[in-house]
Amino acid sequence: MDRRNFFKLVGTASGGALTGACGKQAQELIPLLVPATEIVPGAEEWHPSVCSSCAAGCGTIVRVMQAERKIEVDGETVRQPIAAIKKIEGNPLDPVSGGRLCARGQAAVQGLYHPDRMTGPRRQAGARGSGDFELVDWETALSEVAAALAGFDRRRIVYLTSAGMGTGSATAARFLDSIGAPPASTIGVSDFAVERRASQLAFGWDGLPVYEIQDATYALSIGADFLGGWASPVFYSRRFGHMRRGRPGIRGKLVHAESRFSQTAWSADRWLPVAPGGEHALAMAIGHVIASDNLRESDQADESLRQAFVATDFSGACKASGLEEMRVRDVARELAASTSPLVLGGASIVRPGSSRAVTAANELNLLLGNIGAKGGVMPPAPLPGGLAAERPAYRPLEEQIGKAEVVMIDGVNPLYAAPWLAGSLAKVKLVISFADFLDDSAAHADWILPDHHELEASAGVIPLISPTPALAGAPEFVKPLHETRATPDVLVDLARRLDAAIEPVTLDSAYASIHGQAADEESAPADFIDQARRQGGWWGRERPADAPRTRTEPLGDWDPPVSDPAYPFAFQPYPTLQFGFGGQSHLPWLQQLPDPASSAVWNLPVEIDPATAEQLDVRNGDTLRVISPSGELEAPVYVNPTAIPGVVSMPIGQGHGTFGRYASGQGANPLSIVDPVPEQETGAPAFGATRVRLEKGTTKQRLVQYAAVDRQPRPHR
Amino acid sequence: MSDQLVPVSEIQSADDNVPRWGMAIDLDRCTGCEACVVACHVENNIPIATEDDAAMGRSSHWIRIDRYYEGTFPDIKVKYRPVLCQQCDDAPCEPVCPVYATYQNAEGLNVQVYNRCVGTRYCANNCPYQVRVFNWFDPEWPEPLDLQLNPDVSIRPGGVMEKCTFCVQRIQRGKLDAQAEGRKVEDGDIQPACVQGCPAEAMAFGDLTDPESKVSQWAGVGRSTQLLGELGTKPKVFYLEKSD
Repeated sequence: MDRRNFFKLVGTASGGALTGACGKQAQELIPLLVPATEIVPGAEEWHPSVCSSCAAGCGTIVRVMQAERKIEVDGETVRQPIAAIKKIEGNPLDPVSGGRLCARGQAAVQGLYHPDRMTGPRRQAGARGSGDFELVDWETALSEVAAALAGFDRRRIVYLTSAGMGTGSATAARFLDSIGAPPASTIGVSDFAVERRASQLAFGWDGLPVYEIQDATYALSIGADFLGGWASPVFYSRRFGHMRRGRPGIRGKLVHAESRFSQTAWSADRWLPVAPGGEHALAMAIGHVIASDNLRESDQADESLRQAFVATDFSGACKASGLEEMRVRDVARELAASTSPLVLGGASIVRPGSSRAVTAANELNLLLGNIGAKGGVMPPAPLPGGLAAERPAYRPLEEQIGKAEVVMIDGVNPLYAAPWLAGSLAKVKLVISFADFLDDSAAHADWILPDHHELEASAGVIPLISPTPALAGAPEFVKPLHETRATPDVLVDLARRLDAAIEPVTLDSAYASIHGQAADEESAPADFIDQARRQGGWWGRERPADAPRTRTEPLGDWDPPVSDPAYPFAFQPYPTLQFGFGGQSHLPWLQQLPDPASSAVWNLPVEIDPATAEQLDVRNGDTLRVISPSGELEAPVYVNPTAIPGVVSMPIGQGHGTFGRYASGQGANPLSIVDPVPEQETGAPAFGATRVRLEKGTTKQRLVQYAAVDRQPRPHR
Repeated sequence: MSDQLVPVSEIQSADDNVPRWGMAIDLDRCTGCEACVVACHVENNIPIATEDDAAMGRSSHWIRIDRYYEGTFPDIKVKYRPVLCQQCDDAPCEPVCPVYATYQNAEGLNVQVYNRCVGTRYCANNCPYQVRVFNWFDPEWPEPLDLQLNPDVSIRPGGVMEKCTFCVQRIQRGKLDAQAEGRKVEDGDIQPACVQGCPAEAMAFGDLTDPESKVSQWAGVGRSTQLLGELGTKPKVFYLEKSD
């Protein structure tokens, strides 16, 4: 859909109505799921929505057409016409997606019509984890859950949620506040706590910096797989495309430094294979060359920062980063000599010193003087006015859950993404899940109060990274397929039953708040809301960058390289572009999508370098046992020619105990053997700090690779 | 561009009013993210290939990302390219079909007629790009997954060959919309699902006989080449090679 046609559609579509005249007869015979509407068979409608497959918050448009589903009426199977969703595309008006969408976002519709979705509320009927649930009605579920909640100390409720922010998180915050419970917490994985802290340390900003890579002439990314599973892949892929070939006569250069040959390394002109944990040292080494050789004038780096870089032991830093001095020096010189240089910092794989590493990478931008400059770094967009809510943040969980009486799980799967919490979660007296699938965590809940699928619910989402203040909005436009309820509505109901009445933050109330705060807004509130609903969100104006605040406290040294003869390999589980942190593994479109690195489908392998494979005498598809101090797993091996010797990588996504028919029991979860040492600044689990040893496996694991070239055993070199 | 390849400027239609559809893919923009692959699945009712199917080489993808390693660690690089039906002007798949189920239409599309196909698979055997997919069985979508199916695209039964159509249903819709509005199809009106979804905006689609179209502009640059063009297949997909 092009921009012109989309404008045309938003001009006609309103409030979920499917217009037309031919469906009258059908509506009289069998009530449609969309009330008071008529469907024209074959005609399409496009409605704005927002993707919730990750925290990026891409605005989307959704194609709705007539379909028929089979239902039982008085013992007979009849066909019921419904308004069904056929396709999701990016919203061309949205500044994050710009009309584009990633593989995960496109596949989200399969979650809506998945055959294994929760069809209604359930009560655990057997032991936790047995999968033995009984279906109950909503009134029973809500009254019993409310009665149970009333019997517990509200201060000992832990509400686990994702890093997503919007009307849902704002309503949850009101609920928790009204009943006297502590604020919600993320689970520390995939919530960008490290990048947030680093932004605060380097620039004094609350939120993730916006990297203007589209206008950069030379970009160095350190640790941020921004074209793969990190942060906002559609947003940065669009900008990357522009950097490469969107400017006549200018082709931006990309150098990527990471301990894995990630998607971003694929696209880079040069890859710097940093030793795991060597990112901080690399940033300091590059800063040393720029500062001590005075390669760049900048009034943004104060003298103490410049001196910190000058005082860095260059040789020691290069050694710690695992890179040759000449290579580092070359990159530093090229970077400083470029017209519009940029350094992107991130931690796709979190290690104990990641906040410091990302801070140091960000501070290279101060040295380059590119804050607020074209092709440089911009501050995070302010939150939309009037939506007074904080983005859920990570609070160290082991202790909290250890003391908790009630745990509520909303939009996350901690027993998959943070399996080290299983022991403390098992001791909690009441576990309530809002999952729409029986996932690993829901299986251990006492109650499942299933949420609508994201395409069925009305929601406003504040994007993780956006060039402007933004609220992407999804009005309701199809009726729920099953007896599910929107979690904000359930929380409002529970609050009422606990004598703590709250008003939910709805999409319209959020738009009204934004209108109330916008001093220069001339339209009437009703017109403003109507316009925002039609176009799929509200986007404010860009603003100039604030002067960054320079850090006053010292950053501290990089972590020394770790060696352990008992566990000689560094182990790095990594988020994938198809599954993220495992949240979309239940979708068959994504299961059959070849893994970019190994070309594996329906399973994900352990990746080792050719020399290690030769030592272990294993070939592609053989089984490897990976043993850490915290556990062990067996998985097929992929001999990856790009793997750094001594570093074992494994994509995250498989190994779900239960997550629908397409993911349950497939492969192994690399996070299950992680030793979750805390990241030093944030306390978030450093899932990339585990060391392992490798043995030949004993079980037969299947590795199916799509690419014919990979199906042949790779000869040892 | 090699002398053996056909420059975009020489691609012509029999009739001035008939477009000749083509695609250009800028490998310098492409990130290999596979958004195009899923977009194609969603749009074209591609059957789900189970693990067993995939193990037997029966995966169904109308577009795939080919990936090759170049060099050795640490100076290793990955070369990759999205590969779909190249809609060849001299398509090796066409003359071998005993029942004329695959042919070149007036707009240059290499068309597959599903209800003619008898499943000899000669066409797939003769395709140097390996972009034709055979349905070994009737496709299955456990209810209610079938609610998502795109009503604009036929479901292909077992025993039938299928392949990328350049989203012919979108081409058709684009032409009808333009006709209803009393205008010509404009460049950019029609976008196959892969082109529409591409996050890095690495793909362009349009009429190769229109020198002003985005696809012609892209296909005409110095980095432009064709996959296995030396075979004389005259592909209408152009790749803009990556350059440092």
